[in-house]
Amino acid sequence: MRTNDVMLQTATKVVTFIILMFAVHIFFAGHYTPGGGFVGGLLTASAIVLLMLAYDIETVKKIIPFNYVMMTATGLLLALGTASASIFFNVPFFTHAYDYFDLPLWGKTSLHSAALFDLGVYLVVVGVTMTIIQTIGEDE
Amino acid sequence: MALQILLNFFLAGVWMFMTNAFTPTGFAVGFIVGLLLIILMRRFFSYRLYTSRIWAVISLFFLFLKELILSSFSVFKLVIQPKLTIRPAVFELETELTHDWEVTLLSALITLTPGTLVIGISEDQKRLYIHAIDFEDIEDAVSSIKNTFERAILEVSRP
Repeated sequence: MRTNDVMLQTATKVVTFIILMFAVHIFFAGHYTPGGGFVGGLLTASAIVLLMLAYDIETVKKIIPFNYVMMTATGLLLALGTASASIFFNVPFFTHAYDYFDLPLWGKTSLHSAALFDLGVYLVVVGVTMTIIQTIGEDE
Repeated sequence: MALQILLNFFLAGVWMFMTNAFTPTGFAVGFIVGLLLIILMRRFFSYRLYTSRIWAVISLFFLFLKELILSSFSVFKLVIQPKLTIRPAVFELETELTHDWEVTLLSALITLTPGTLVIGISEDQKRLYIHAIDFEDIEDAVSSIKNTFERAILEVSRP
């Protein structure tokens, strides 16, 4: 007799959105409060892992058709590009720039190029974690 | 139901544009005006008003709180007895609920009230297997769940 996972699956449908929302919040909160790219990436990966637990790997691959190896490469390129962009401005490697902008919805906001580096970290963490888990999970 | 809520938000937005009041207050006034119009036009909808469903959700919440307190006291009385005279049993509950979220909600409510615990759902989602810590007879337990939670959930989900 197979078990009926209706309760787990229905709860997962709701909870996944909350976890992903929280991951985005943690990612953007990293500059002034605890959080950042690494934790945000791990939270995103945990949401996808929860989906894989509730359904199965093939279904989740259809739902979220990302190539995680390419995602890791993109994240590394983004981090390296952000770090080496400082060369064009005659400042040392890894020097970050920031300024205050008047955005229409947020008002006066400080935009920092470290956020792009963090986005690279985020992509690498999600890609590596999901690659590891998928590779182990598909192993027969 | 969802269409009515969306229409109400849309009417509130239209009201904000008409009165040129892009504030939370303007939105609230527009929402109330839209709700009155939807109540006026309720016979055009094939489903009942969404306010009655929201009321059903609120009453289900308070029913759950009441059951939680009552069953907590009964389990508390079992725990402080010097002699353990409980008769645990697993019984089967035939449910009329069909949707996934209804079955999930019913299982969660049964599990969250002390004394009863859902240990499995059958493959065709027609039966719940429930473990009760102390029960007199099956009909009693089944009918109490059916009369409280299942009826309240049906009240929420009926069109």
